[in-house]
Amino acid sequence: MLYYICKYTPIEAFSAMGVQIERLEPEVSSFPKADSFLHPNLCSYVKGAYELCSQKAEEDPDFEGVVFTTCCDSVKRLFDVLSRKYPNKFWFVLDLPRMGNEFAAKLYASRIRACLSAYEEFSGRTFEEEELSTLLNRNKEPDKAVVSEPGRLRIGVVGARISSHLRKLIEDAGAELLFDQTCTGDRLLLPPEGNRPLLEAYAYRLLNQLPCMRMAEAVNRDPMMLPLLQKADGIVYHTIKFCDNYSFEYADLKDRSPVPLLALETDGTTLSYGQQRTRIEAFLEELSPKKQKHNRKTTGDKKMYVIGIDSGSTSTNAVLINEKLEILDFRVIRTGAKSIESAEAVLKSVLKNAGLQRSDISRIISTGYGRVSIPFADKNITEITCHGKGAHFLFPEVRTILDIGGQDSKAIRLNEKGEVADFVMNDKCAAGTGRFLEAMARTLELSIEELGPVSLRSREVVEISSMCTVFAESEVISLIALNKEQADIAAGVHRAIANKAMTLLRKTGLIPSFCMTGGVAKNPGVIHALEQQLGEKLLIPEEPEIVGALGAALLGAEDLF
Amino acid sequence: MDLVKTYGNIIRKNLETHPVAARRMINVGLSLENLRVQAFSDKRMPKASKELNSLAVNKIREGLKTPEKTAWTNLFTPVELLQCFDLNCLSVEAVSSFFSGFTIEDSFIRYGEGKGLAPSLCSYHKCFLGSFFSGVLPVPKLAVTASTACDANFNTFRLAGKEARLPVFYLDIPGIRSEEAVDYVVRQLHALLGSLEKLTHRKFDIDLLREILQRENESKRLYLQFLKKKAKKAWPTTLTLQMYELFATHLSIGTEESLHFFRSLCKEIDHMPDFHGKRLFWVHLIPFYHPVLKDALNFSDAFQLQGMEMNIDNTKPLDLKDPIRSLARKMIDNLYNRPFEYKEKLVLKAVQHTNADGVIHFCHWGCKQSIGGVMLLKEAMKKAGIPFLILDGDGIDRTNDTPGQIKTRLEAFLEMIR
Repeated sequence: MLYYICKYTPIEAFSAMGVQIERLEPEVSSFPKADSFLHPNLCSYVKGAYELCSQKAEEDPDFEGVVFTTCCDSVKRLFDVLSRKYPNKFWFVLDLPRMGNEFAAKLYASRIRACLSAYEEFSGRTFEEEELSTLLNRNKEPDKAVVSEPGRLRIGVVGARISSHLRKLIEDAGAELLFDQTCTGDRLLLPPEGNRPLLEAYAYRLLNQLPCMRMAEAVNRDPMMLPLLQKADGIVYHTIKFCDNYSFEYADLKDRSPVPLLALETDGTTLSYGQQRTRIEAFLEELSPKKQKHNRKTTGDKKMYVIGIDSGSTSTNAVLINEKLEILDFRVIRTGAKSIESAEAVLKSVLKNAGLQRSDISRIISTGYGRVSIPFADKNITEITCHGKGAHFLFPEVRTILDIGGQDSKAIRLNEKGEVADFVMNDKCAAGTGRFLEAMARTLELSIEELGPVSLRSREVVEISSMCTVFAESEVISLIALNKEQADIAAGVHRAIANKAMTLLRKTGLIPSFCMTGGVAKNPGVIHALEQQLGEKLLIPEEPEIVGALGAALLGAEDLF
Repeated sequence: MDLVKTYGNIIRKNLETHPVAARRMINVGLSLENLRVQAFSDKRMPKASKELNSLAVNKIREGLKTPEKTAWTNLFTPVELLQCFDLNCLSVEAVSSFFSGFTIEDSFIRYGEGKGLAPSLCSYHKCFLGSFFSGVLPVPKLAVTASTACDANFNTFRLAGKEARLPVFYLDIPGIRSEEAVDYVVRQLHALLGSLEKLTHRKFDIDLLREILQRENESKRLYLQFLKKKAKKAWPTTLTLQMYELFATHLSIGTEESLHFFRSLCKEIDHMPDFHGKRLFWVHLIPFYHPVLKDALNFSDAFQLQGMEMNIDNTKPLDLKDPIRSLARKMIDNLYNRPFEYKEKLVLKAVQHTNADGVIHFCHWGCKQSIGGVMLLKEAMKKAGIPFLILDGDGIDRTNDTPGQIKTRLEAFLEMIR
């Protein structure tokens, strides 16, 4: 059993030898071996591949090895290290040209020949050109495209390779995966043409697939890309952490795409599945045809109540509204070890305060990280859509929302109608979130509530350069050792948060008016630092923590009335 | 008050609103820097190093002032061909390093990230693209990039080239040493020459190229000689100067100025006293801004930097009979174009050649080709009994730095080999 990782691998030539050759697909939760034998900052897919290969090399007797190409810097090193660590397996790296002309094909053909000979020697099998020729000639252009189910959103994926898990996630969320043009996605290799020797003609076909970003031919992607994107209702542009090739194309496409584009970065571990789900679902919510606002049904004398619950990492918030969309009550409690218990507690507290029973409530909508773990909710909606709804309700003029919560931060752009038009989220790390501020406040021996007001007394500019929570903490400690004023350090911390937030805001286009939500919006120091960088006033809700829950309640009310 | 930082802050304020004014201020800053080094620099700095300083600063100044006579390149572009057309070569690494020198790298990096570039991308490339997108870095005549060493080479130029409607030439350098591979590169070089002739309205003169290659051969011979002498002699240097050598060994290799510098090096070192401290060999880029490393290594009597492997990535003499073919061979034979094993051998050889007591490997953020092999290099050094230190950090981005960690690791290592 052989594996491959790059679409330019001559997999058909191996199949022609009767070898089973499969796409290498690691599913790991961490990289203990790769971090010690490679480097933590290498491409996360490659680190996952190292984990899987070393496990297979040690435990799986059917595992023969991997056929690599020199597709990127990380893979080259993956080959170097694996072939050194497990010399008895078959590791071969095909030097892959970056051009698609006949000279490149000739060069690649001779490398393929060398690779096949090496495998013949390793396995005792023989390669027959005739077998390959038969196999390749079986490939045909597909018949007419499959007709899509009406009403179902059609999603296309481009960018760096995606896992089967992500493909499934898109389909489970109710969309149709129209195409997967990531680097090892849908493969169609037409039969070789011309009078050239078979391997050269085959190499030519291989090199002339939709060029990946490492190819010089990638200049030709552009004219192919836009018509491709147009076929779908929305595009997931996938990138992998520490694989930077595709971020270049994303940077170029993001403002020109004919259909909405979701930038999705994954880190090759199973740990980010939750976040991936939030982003995909929010994207589909954004794409779904918006319901026409019909005249609100009068509910007569009958009172109606809807509750929105936002189950966040730090706090669980609830908002109760009535049929007139008036906020009757809200609650904010600290999220405990189990999100469901906090959700139950907050619900009980709202009901008690309003003198209502559970049966009086027409609808409960959950949102936030824990939204799927709240069994009594009638429906769950991502916090992105909910924040958009809530902020638009409070301030109809808002076009850009910055939400900084306990463990993540997001920038959301709304269109004139108040619908989500684009959004970006921070990565998995705590830099620039509420957790960062909590850690800094602790180091400064201030409470989180004091941090903001104290910083406003700052007179000297002190810089915190590191964005990483751990290292920023040690920077703060050194500043304390240098006898810097607490106020100045606190202001530096807030500027660091503002810098990080500005990067997010820039990605959504910096369109005023701006509104800030989430617990961090209660900190006047952060608001001051941000307003200075934006050159604009921020709109701050009276209760910035409940905007998500309010949005959830409003969306629930829309369903009903 | 730190003057450079203050000046940097003034430039920073102009970046987004007045990019052209910011560029002018950078140019003035570069002239001042030239003056400062000539007149007021550290007394310990050798004269040849001042020469090197001017060479580097002038190259950047020209690139900013006369973009119409400039080509964007990377460190592995065959600059010899561009010199035949009187083009000044400016590389991604050089441009970004200078912006970092002005302490404005982070603004450009954030600008690039705001455009959608990955935060994990090499900061040299992010800074370069950010400076271009913000309008501070002017559009040159053309760009020539080689695939050697780094994935970002093609992508950075493709993105900038598209936005600026700039002719970009891509050289695909195979990772296999064969005559077929040389033919493949020769063909590309001929095509490039054809385009250069059209773009500059000049005829290519092969004898001019021969002269350039001859100076290049002489330069490389002198440089190896200098490194050999440095195995014994003291040569007071700084992290920045060590990086500046890349201008002489790569971007300006083959020019009169560069050859003159190598001659000065070899002459001046003969008059230096012997060095009695510990000698260090550096692998990969140097974070020249780094306060901890500067403190420990600049003009130090205890520790001397013997060289870095990037400066000797290809020291073989070029055959003047067939200059184009030898340039193709030079690119294919480059250290970064070959299996990692070759790097292990080269570093071992360099350690012997320069009499180094230890090796420091700097893992620059985003540079996969180097960091991915660092454990293999470590094993090879361990086998040979050479102390080896790994530092993780960022070559130019101060906000992506971990000073505390670097300090502890470096000090422990220096205590260990002392």
